[in-house]
Amino acid sequence: MTEFAVRIDGRGVGVVTPQGRLTMVSARSLRTAVEELVAGGAPKVVVDLSETTFLDSSGLGALIAGLKTCRQAGGDLRIASPTDAVLAVLQLTNLDKVLRPRESAETAFDV
Amino acid sequence: MSDHAPPGGPLRWEVTAPAEPAVVDTVQDGLVALWREGAVDPHVALRLELGLVEIVANIVEHAYDPAETGREITVVVEVAPGRVTASAWDNGRPTGIDLSTVALPEDDAESGRGLAMALAALDELRYERDGERNRWSLVCLR
Repeated sequence: MTEFAVRIDGRGVGVVTPQGRLTMVSARSLRTAVEELVAGGAPKVVVDLSETTFLDSSGLGALIAGLKTCRQAGGDLRIASPTDAVLAVLQLTNLDKVLRPRESAETAFDV
Repeated sequence: MSDHAPPGGPLRWEVTAPAEPAVVDTVQDGLVALWREGAVDPHVALRLELGLVEIVANIVEHAYDPAETGREITVVVEVAPGRVTASAWDNGRPTGIDLSTVALPEDDAESGRGLAMALAALDELRYERDGERNRWSLVCLR
């Protein structure tokens, strides 16, 4: 069962940390988590992928949907610290250009 | 749910379950032990797992009419010398897909990547109608 840790950091950036696999089983929950952060006034969101053990097309779709939701609200969605398995999937689909992995959730919005 | 062949034969895992989203977790849980027992290289394991997850998800989402009951999927995974293979059978409707035309969608698409990702991850992917069932065959060389 994939859990989602959600918090807002000291700079008002929403941080979602999926713990487990991001597949069709859990992708809907990621979309909801991002939507709730944006609706709550945090359109800048980091998805911290350091505890995400697997990513499939449904998980990628949820990240793209979240990116659109954040940008429509004047913010952005960034990803941080992907595991090797997640990075391999991002590279396979060339989405590492659209969702450029940042070193950490804390620094994801520094540049 | 686990069935290991005699010594010298391929390591094997299989499951038959309702074709619902939860079967994706069931399959991935089963693979964890299989990869460990078969000492499968993590990169090869990831490619087969990604291909299989995409095919199983595709079956769950597209092989059945919304009201259809009795949905059943069978997955068999084998670790053999030189290759890891998987087969997935479902009792859904025939798929009309031509795998030679499958491509990744635009970067901002929220869906439609599954089969393209399976093709990219695997060394072989085949589909055939097998009696009243669909059969998908997946191969990763190791």
